[in-house]
Amino acid sequence: MLEVVLRSLGVLAAFLVLPLVVGQTEHKVMAHMQGRLGPMYAGGFHGWAQLVADGVKFVQKEDITPRAADRWVFKLAPAVALVPYLVALAVIPLSATVVAADVGAGVLFVLAASAVGILGLLMAGWSSANKYALLGGMRAAAQLLSYELPLVLSVASVALAAGTVSLTGIADAWHPLWLVWQLPGALVFLIAAVAELQRPPFDMPVADSEIVMGPFTEYTGLRFAFFLLSEYAGIVVMSLLFAVLFLGGWRGPFSGVLGPVWTLLKGALISVLIIWLRVSWPRLREDQLQRLAWLVLVPLALAQLALTAGWVVLSSP
Amino acid sequence: MTDHQHSPGDSPKTNGFIPGLIKGLATTARTLATPSHTAEYPDVQPHLPPRTRGVIALLEENCTSCMLCARECPDWCIYIDSHKETLPATTEGGRERQRNVLDRFAIDFSLCMYCGICIEVCPFDALHWSPEFEYAELNILDLLHEKDRLGEWMPTVPAPSALDPRSADPQEVAAANKPPRTAPERRQ
Amino acid sequence: MTTLTTVDVLFGAVGLITAASAVLAVTTHHLVHAALWLVVTLGTLAGCYLILGAELVALVQLLVYVGAVVVLVLFALMLTRAPMGRSPEHSSGFIQRIAAALVGAGTTALLAAVLLPALGGDIRPTRAGDTKGIATQLFGSWVWPFELLSLLLLVALIAALAVSRMPTTSLPSTTEAVAETPANSAGGESR
Repeated sequence: MLEVVLRSLGVLAAFLVLPLVVGQTEHKVMAHMQGRLGPMYAGGFHGWAQLVADGVKFVQKEDITPRAADRWVFKLAPAVALVPYLVALAVIPLSATVVAADVGAGVLFVLAASAVGILGLLMAGWSSANKYALLGGMRAAAQLLSYELPLVLSVASVALAAGTVSLTGIADAWHPLWLVWQLPGALVFLIAAVAELQRPPFDMPVADSEIVMGPFTEYTGLRFAFFLLSEYAGIVVMSLLFAVLFLGGWRGPFSGVLGPVWTLLKGALISVLIIWLRVSWPRLREDQLQRLAWLVLVPLALAQLALTAGWVVLSSP
Repeated sequence: MTDHQHSPGDSPKTNGFIPGLIKGLATTARTLATPSHTAEYPDVQPHLPPRTRGVIALLEENCTSCMLCARECPDWCIYIDSHKETLPATTEGGRERQRNVLDRFAIDFSLCMYCGICIEVCPFDALHWSPEFEYAELNILDLLHEKDRLGEWMPTVPAPSALDPRSADPQEVAAANKPPRTAPERRQ
Repeated sequence: MTTLTTVDVLFGAVGLITAASAVLAVTTHHLVHAALWLVVTLGTLAGCYLILGAELVALVQLLVYVGAVVVLVLFALMLTRAPMGRSPEHSSGFIQRIAAALVGAGTTALLAAVLLPALGGDIRPTRAGDTKGIATQLFGSWVWPFELLSLLLLVALIAALAVSRMPTTSLPSTTEAVAETPANSAGGESR
């Protein structure tokens, strides 16, 4: 019982710390990529506590529910968006032994959890009784439906190659050669993950130059902060998932001792890559977005799946 | 996709989709590697050029209350009060002299548009530009600064820039260096 | 009657939530609330599977039904109409309600009458619910139904594609006048 409590607390701590680390990294990396310094004051050393200060500010803000809004759905939406990522984080292994809950079908679990998180956006978009929020919610729904498929297909390819759907099993079966022949799948996964997270260049649902803030338009205070937190928690989950699935997770020198460090390091690299993409690339238009998903990613993922299947069949005794 | 809509010569030829994306990544990475341009203002004072129009400083001793500045000011934001003072004659049987004494000299910086005409027209160099800019107030009425405050800014006025090499001496120096006038000899 | 086990209690509780939310999904007057109650129903149904030991089925249920099907339903609702308050114009009449309730109750009774004697009334978590077990059964003893189902889905997919690509000229009389216009006929020729 004590162990369960400790593991849960560990996940909760990771859930509260890692997204903030990613957020702070985004602040600083994006600033320096734009020739700025970013936050410099909060906490003293290079503004390390900026997001903590932001959190304190969010708590103080008034929690407004629009009069025309559907109250219950409106209030529930941030939780629906946030909790699935917390649950998903619990099953992602940092090493063969460091994992909060070793679920047999771990990959499916993470994908299912992130799929549920999408509902939070839809609920927020609809219940705000705001046309911009509704438009954002619809864009989110269309985008997430399209990119769910390549995401699942590319994960299926890895699972096929490893012969298991357990995350620890996949990372154990990983081989450096995967970097070559699973590369298309990895690219598809990365692009689809960025699209699932609605990060630029796929931030059509929250395109602030067109529809204010999409589904979050009417949100204030802590509930808005929960949506932001869920975005960064999503980056953490997807980056760690990429590291475990495609980069071998805890493989590396001294993996016996430094296993979790390797996983976190690889995940951090992917997070920085996601931030880098945000700074560098312009936003895709809605039709370009759909075109990319259905005409490029899905065929690519299917081809990867066929390649993997052929390899597995030919190489198995 | 929209390449055919570009007129040639409008931008350097783009070689398609992927190179453009890589170029974007390279640009941001290069910027990341170079030091940022941010001036950390409250911690580090900004380096301002000497001709910066920060605030107008008053050198009270030079002011003759001639009112030229107040009259030329497009905003009418300079207030001058003065009175005449009679100076006793310096020599026996001489004439008494009168001079203007400046009672009040105020500039309303909530009206001032920093055109600098007052400084241009001042015949006695009583007004100067100072690069000092940290004089914000919470109340707009507090932006009316009297002559003691204007005088406090005087030390921040930078020295005039050096003259160009081989240029003529400034007026004062030329006048001082001129040989004293001798009595005209022709009339003798 | 044996004593209640943890599984019994959990299954009962989750099953109750499933049934209650299902009833709410069909009785609520809010269109979007109906879809959201459907989410709760499908999610708690996944919980039922999980309690019974069918881990993979539960996750796939969550991924496919909650993550995709209901999102599609919500998307369609938002695209067409998603009124904020009650929408009485979509409520059915009294007689239809009675009929629907009767049909639902009849189906439930029929299924219960068939399944309960066949499988027994006690709740037993299955041992073969993990990925390997499901896969062995699916591609072993149930491979033909599985393949037939996938064929059915493929047929549905192709049919949907065909319907969406169907030339407008072949639509029945109401659109014929429209189809005669030059623009449409030109489009038809270009095909």
